[in-house]
Amino acid sequence: MSKEPRTDWQRQQKQLSKQQKSRNLASWALTAPALLWLIVFFLVPYLIVVIYSFLTPDIYDVKFEFSMDAYRQAFNPDYLRTLFQSFKLATFTTLLCLLLGFPVAYFIARAKDKTKNTLLVFIIIPFWTNLIIRIFSWRIFLAYNGVLNDVLMNIGLISQPLEIMRTDMAVILVMVYVYLPYMILPLYSVLEKLDFTLLQAAMDLGASEVKAFFSITLPLSIEGIFAGSLLVFIPALGAYLIPQLVGNQRTLYLGQVITYKIKNIPRNWPMASALSLTLLFFVAIMLILLFTLYRHRRNRGHA
Amino acid sequence: MKRMSIARFYKGMNLTAFSLVMVFLYIPILILVIFSFNDAKIITGWRGFTLKYYEQLWHNDAIKDAFRNTMLIAGLSTLISTVFGILTALGMENKNFSGRRLISGLIYVPLVIPDILMGVSLALLFNFTRVNTGMITVLIAHITFCISYTVIVIQSRLEGFDYSLVEAAMDLGAKPAVIFWKVKFPLMLPGIIAAALLAFTLSIDDFIITFFTSGRGFDTLPIYVEGTIRRGTITTINSLSTIMIGFTLFLVVITKRIRKVLISSM
Repeated sequence: MSKEPRTDWQRQQKQLSKQQKSRNLASWALTAPALLWLIVFFLVPYLIVVIYSFLTPDIYDVKFEFSMDAYRQAFNPDYLRTLFQSFKLATFTTLLCLLLGFPVAYFIARAKDKTKNTLLVFIIIPFWTNLIIRIFSWRIFLAYNGVLNDVLMNIGLISQPLEIMRTDMAVILVMVYVYLPYMILPLYSVLEKLDFTLLQAAMDLGASEVKAFFSITLPLSIEGIFAGSLLVFIPALGAYLIPQLVGNQRTLYLGQVITYKIKNIPRNWPMASALSLTLLFFVAIMLILLFTLYRHRRNRGHA
Repeated sequence: MKRMSIARFYKGMNLTAFSLVMVFLYIPILILVIFSFNDAKIITGWRGFTLKYYEQLWHNDAIKDAFRNTMLIAGLSTLISTVFGILTALGMENKNFSGRRLISGLIYVPLVIPDILMGVSLALLFNFTRVNTGMITVLIAHITFCISYTVIVIQSRLEGFDYSLVEAAMDLGAKPAVIFWKVKFPLMLPGIIAAALLAFTLSIDDFIITFFTSGRGFDTLPIYVEGTIRRGTITTINSLSTIMIGFTLFLVVITKRIRKVLISSM
């Protein structure tokens, strides 16, 4: 038999912990459906990817024989080049989005409250429009006999249609187009909270606009820059649809190669798995790097 | 005086950047809409106004099937992922919950991994388990990628939650069930609607994960559109796209309305 709690305080504590236990149980019960779902359809599939990456390919399927070929192939120069291309594309896309997105976010953040919402809606509408339609609209615009070439030739700026479609430039252009809102929205949300009187104060004290920008605006909006870059860079690394629809087959990106290995016959699922895991690995490294950098900056800011 | 002009210069630069980005964002869409009424087989020049591509759209059974599939998947995955979202957000409200880190990790990780990897991993899961790909597998995939968004949106709404209302209800002797349905749920509703709308648009929009998890014979609109573009028969795609853009605008307006109605009703 347990001793009776001696004081009211102890009794209260015991009751409290009992209450906490039941609340904890309730929390497990409430989160169980999503937890189970994500274990079965998010974690387990990755386990299968790991297993498949060590198997032998078959024309339509896989053979359950152990092999390291997929990894050996994944690190040959051809595939490393693809990986490099994807990194290059993601980096350029992120930088261009930042460069274009920052002034836009700044402009919206400094607009009057009433106009702010309208301006935001203008940014969000394309973001809500179907991705494939947005890509398709660029095909019409940039095509050899498309609208842009038509207009430029009619004004007499060019005598021959430009071949923009199916170039690497078209891929970057459409990537920036698609991912720009993902950069603008987080930038806006930090810039909106930014105390612009600080800027005014700095300038009253004699700082130039440029100096005030680099010593106040930029450091204070670093969180938005991180968030936006993350939202652009990571999906850009795995891009498939945009390079597929506006790019050429000379420059292949990782997303395309992975998809071909799964969809095209002869299939090579071990290879697709190994490449997917490589991509996952780099994403993980990027994330860790970004967060350390972010935490480092923040700590320094607080010190 | 000089500083004044620099300030104006910056303001002007931002305005220019904003206008340029607006042009950049809208020109292609605008052209697409205009050309859906163009009476030409290929996309060159203006050949006069026509509605015939809309008519063709109406008679195209493949598009109608794809539309039905898209709506079915979007509706069901929205419903299920929103219910998951509500339950999970309520469970995560408890700050001392021992599974908090595990679950928030599982919720956030899918968001920072490229979509294509979820597609690949689910494709392999369905291959490994020998499940026939089709409607059910697409639905499973869509629920999986929607859950994270619904949980986060509903949770963020709960975080700004005014507990004094719940306490007041408790002090007045209300039963837990009554508190939930009369106080908490109405306060959660805007978050729930936002989450559902987000899940719905994400589901309609998805190409890559559907591409990996749908078998032959089960096309959603994005899959159908991509296939058509690849085969080069694009005349109806303009009109189809225009209708879908119209639908987007409708959703944007509706959300604003819903939000207004909800705010005014409270």
